[in-house]
Amino acid sequence: MNTGGLILIIGSLAAATAAFIWVALRLSSTSSRVIKKDMSDIELDKAAVSDVEHIFNEEFREELRNRGRLHFEKVIGENAMFLQQDLRQTTTQLNDYMKAEITRTLQEEFKKYEQSITDAKQLAIASIEKTITTIDQQREFLQKQLAGQYEEQKDQIIARFEKDMANIINHYVLRAIGNQIDLSDQLDYILAELEANKKAIVDDIRSGT
Amino acid sequence: MDLKLPNSVVSQVDVARLMRELGALGDFFISTQARQAGASVQPPRSSGALEQLASENKLNLLDGQHRQQLNDALNTLLGQAPLIHISFAAEPSPKALDRIVSWLRSNIHPQTLLQVGLQPTIAAGCVVRTPNRVLDLSMRAYLKQQEPYLVELIAGAARG
Repeated sequence: MNTGGLILIIGSLAAATAAFIWVALRLSSTSSRVIKKDMSDIELDKAAVSDVEHIFNEEFREELRNRGRLHFEKVIGENAMFLQQDLRQTTTQLNDYMKAEITRTLQEEFKKYEQSITDAKQLAIASIEKTITTIDQQREFLQKQLAGQYEEQKDQIIARFEKDMANIINHYVLRAIGNQIDLSDQLDYILAELEANKKAIVDDIRSGT
Repeated sequence: MDLKLPNSVVSQVDVARLMRELGALGDFFISTQARQAGASVQPPRSSGALEQLASENKLNLLDGQHRQQLNDALNTLLGQAPLIHISFAAEPSPKALDRIVSWLRSNIHPQTLLQVGLQPTIAAGCVVRTPNRVLDLSMRAYLKQQEPYLVELIAGAARG
């Protein structure tokens, strides 16, 4: 440490001491002035208490009441207006909120309802398609059955017709040629037939005899 | 005695008629024995069948014993001869009947008797009925047998 530094430290210590002394002096002078002022205020308070009846008399109080009433009414009116505005705003917001909520709820319900209708429609379509398929199958089965019955009946009618036609032709032939063939012309045929059945006749005659 | 029947004797009716004729002839000879002298006699007319029968069997109808023999033979024939019933569509001519009887007696039995009937519905041919059987040899039966073929023809025509 050199000389300059030492001087600087000493200077600083001296300055700090001087400053402390100044502050102490200053504080002592201020406290004496406050004490004086407190004394005057007490006197003033006493004077005020003694004259308070003169300053705040009944008219002054009534005036203060009126003013207070007017001020209160004004405050009340302003607050009522604010409250009304708030109420209107709240009502509007509430309406908007309710409208939005109801709309959202309704939309959700409508969506559900629409989904239900769509599901029911799908079910109905599936049921109708199933019914149509069943009806088609039944119709196809009935068509086959009817076709079979038709063919069977047709065959029966044709068979009956053919048999009846054969009977008609036989009958016609018998009627047509029955009186036209002389027995002499049939004799060879009859004898041939008898010859063919000779054994049967002989056997029957012998057993019968 | 195996009686030889002529073809003119066809049925039991003919045999019965012959027996009646024989009876009448016997009665005539009895009556001639009881007749008075000088009285005219009228012999009964015998049929050709009876004479043919007597001739074929070498019997004398003037002989009472032969008549009795013939009557007994006819009586036996009536009870024992095989009877065949034949139906035709129309009344057969004697000639046709003669051929049929001839065939029956030469092929079936020599004493076969025939009963002829009529069935116009058979059109042609005949129906033979023996004691236990019926043989339908008619055109009706033939057409009936051929009916499936006729149905087949009709079915072929109907179905193109």
